[in-house]
Order: sequence, then C-alpha cells, then structure tokens
Amino acid sequence: MKTLFTVLLAAISLTIFSCNKETSTTQTNVMNNLLTNKNWYLDYSITEGLTSTTPVVFKTYVGQSTYFITYLKNGVTKDSDGITGTYTVELINSQSQIHMQLKTINGNPFEVIYNIISVGESNMVLSKVISGPATKLYFTTK
Amino acid sequence: MNKRSALFQKIVICFSFLLLLAQEVNAQTLTKKQQDSAFLLHPGQERLRKIKKSIAKTFVDFVGNNVSLYGALDFSKQNINDNAITAPINYLYNNVNSNTYNTGFSGGFRVDGIYKEKHRYALSFGLNRIVAGSNYKNIHNLSPFIEDFTYFKADNVFTTISIAAHYKKLLPVNDMNKYKFYAVLGPSFDYKISKISDAQLINGAGNRAFINLDLGAEFDNKGYYILYGHYKLGNYISSSTVPVQMNRFEIGMSIKTKDLF
Repeated sequence: MKTLFTVLLAAISLTIFSCNKETSTTQTNVMNNLLTNKNWYLDYSITEGLTSTTPVVFKTYVGQSTYFITYLKNGVTKDSDGITGTYTVELINSQSQIHMQLKTINGNPFEVIYNIISVGESNMVLSKVISGPATKLYFTTK
Repeated sequence: MNKRSALFQKIVICFSFLLLLAQEVNAQTLTKKQQDSAFLLHPGQERLRKIKKSIAKTFVDFVGNNVSLYGALDFSKQNINDNAITAPINYLYNNVNSNTYNTGFSGGFRVDGIYKEKHRYALSFGLNRIVAGSNYKNIHNLSPFIEDFTYFKADNVFTTISIAAHYKKLLPVNDMNKYKFYAVLGPSFDYKISKISDAQLINGAGNRAFINLDLGAEFDNKGYYILYGHYKLGNYISSSTVPVQMNRFEIGMSIKTKDLF
C-alpha cells in the first residue's frame, strides 16, 4: 500500500512539474501566425542618424500606402514592386529575423534579412541592417 | 366438466411444482466457468479487498460521508504580469484586455463528512470550463507608431480538473436543526487539461497547475441540497515568466446522489 501511494505521488508530482511545453519553434510559430496572409503597408521608414538621439527621417511614405508586402502561409512573399521570393522566420541568438530569398523582376536573386523589432496582428516594426545606420520600417495592415 | 376442471387443476399444480424445482436447480447449478473460478485464487480481487480494508482502517475517523453531485457557475478574472516577456510580439491592449469577470461553469462530485465527530469537511472533485476576463497589468507603447499593447496574450478559455479540501465551520445562525449555515475555508488545486496555445507558452510562460485558497459560505437546506458561494484566489504552482493571479467566484448547488438515483 505504501509503495503504491509513493508511486502515485511521484507520478502526480512529475505530471505537475513537467508541464511547460515550449519548444524551439513556439516563438517562430506565433510570429508566423501574426505575419502571414496580410498586406503589410509601409507607413514610415526611418534611418537612424549618426547619434541615437538625432534620428534622421531618410524616407517616408506617410499617408500614401504606395508600398506593401505580403507573406503567405506557404512561405512565399511578394511585394507591390513585383519582387517575389521565399521567406522564413528564424530565431538566431535570441534575435527574431525574417530571411528572404528574393528575385528582381529581371530574375536576379538577392537576400534580405530583417530583424523583427515587434510584430502584432495589425502592426509590425522591422529593422534592416546592411552596413552603417539601421533603417526601421513601420508597417500596418490598415 | 368437474373432471376436466380437476384435471386442469392437477396440471397447473404439477407445472408450478416443476417450475419451482427447475428454478431451484438453476440456482444451484453453476456453469463450468463459474465452477472453475470458485476454486481459483483471484489476486486482483484480493488486492482490491485489502486496499478497501486498509482505506477503511486509515479513514476510520472520517464518518457520516455523503456523496453529492454539484454544478456551479464560475465567474473568473485573471491578472497578468507580462514584464518578463522578451519575444518581440505585440497585442493591442484594447483587443485583449477585458477587466471583467466572465462566466464559465463546473460540475463534479463532493463528499461531505465529519472528522472525529467534530470537524466537518468537504472533499470535491470537479471538471471546470473556465472563461476568464483578462486584466493585463502592464501597458507598453511604441509611440507614435504602435498604440498601447501587451507582449503576451493569455488563454482565457480553458478546461481544468480540480480537487478541493474544505473545512466547514457551522455557524450559529437560525434554527440549526433545519437550516445550516457554514463558513468554508481550504485549499484547492486545478490542472489544465485543455490544449495550451503557442501564444501562452512563449518564453516559458505556460503553466498547467495552479493552487487556490478557497473561502466561502454554504447553506444546507435540511440535508436536501446545499447552496454555496466560494471565492477562489489562485496562483501558478511553479514559477513562470508571466505570473497569473486567478480570481474566481463559484456559485453552485449540490444534491445527494442517493436522493438523485
């Protein structure tokens, strides 16, 4: 009886304390769900200045909605400029990123990597780092 | 005519006698399987008998147990602290925050009894469908681009199984032979059995088990039924990056199973 009770207690304890089931894909799954099957319209594009306290607005699309990009559930992306390709959401060294393998209209391949600053159901902020100051892109779904 | 009647009477008597005899023979006749079984040892049954005996011996002081079925309405709200979330995710505050008590329901059975003929108790086992309002304690913003948002979205509809042990103190109110009022205090434990969403699991925030402190009052109407109201204050049993405090009001009724079936 005592053995049975001990085994039962151990089984219950194990069940209770082994309940976190987060996996390596949990975060990317959530971000993918928020990202896909929407048109993301670029509202602002801000390039940081030489000092962090004096950012310079390099380019802005305020109120124009001239550029948008779509991430489809099947891993395909396309934008309003006619650029298409594939994308993956990845978590590298705790930094969430969108990796895009794209082709220009002329068929020239190129790669773009964005750091995800924040993604939600209707807002997204990405950061594009090539060299020099980072450019932050502010999207909404309208 | 008389001869016929007498003959008929004799036949009926004979038939009745044979029927009775057949029944008796039937009652004494065991099938081959039953006969074999009677001579065999039944370790399973023996073990069960021993366990029952052992339980009866252990719980000898727990007397007057009545089993009841209960059903209740659950009004729930969860307070969520998402400060430790590092994932770059935003949920618009106005879309996810509802600082209200939402209604769910629960059902199960409970055992009411007396310990050492002095201390009244109730043990209950239930299934709960919790629909909770969500109160997010922290508001973040990325002004002027993103209005108020949270980093985390908690599941607000889920199912738990629960177990509770309550101490019941009889209150000297009214005629205690007819109507009994009790103050109730004790712990309860809930375990989520429904699927936890990915959004809830992010950054190790997910938790399945929480422990509650229950406080309430009960009204026993001559033993026919019990009406009760319990407040449950709950917290996750293990540490989480997003501590959640559950507040629940349970209003329900229990009826003895022997009165129902």
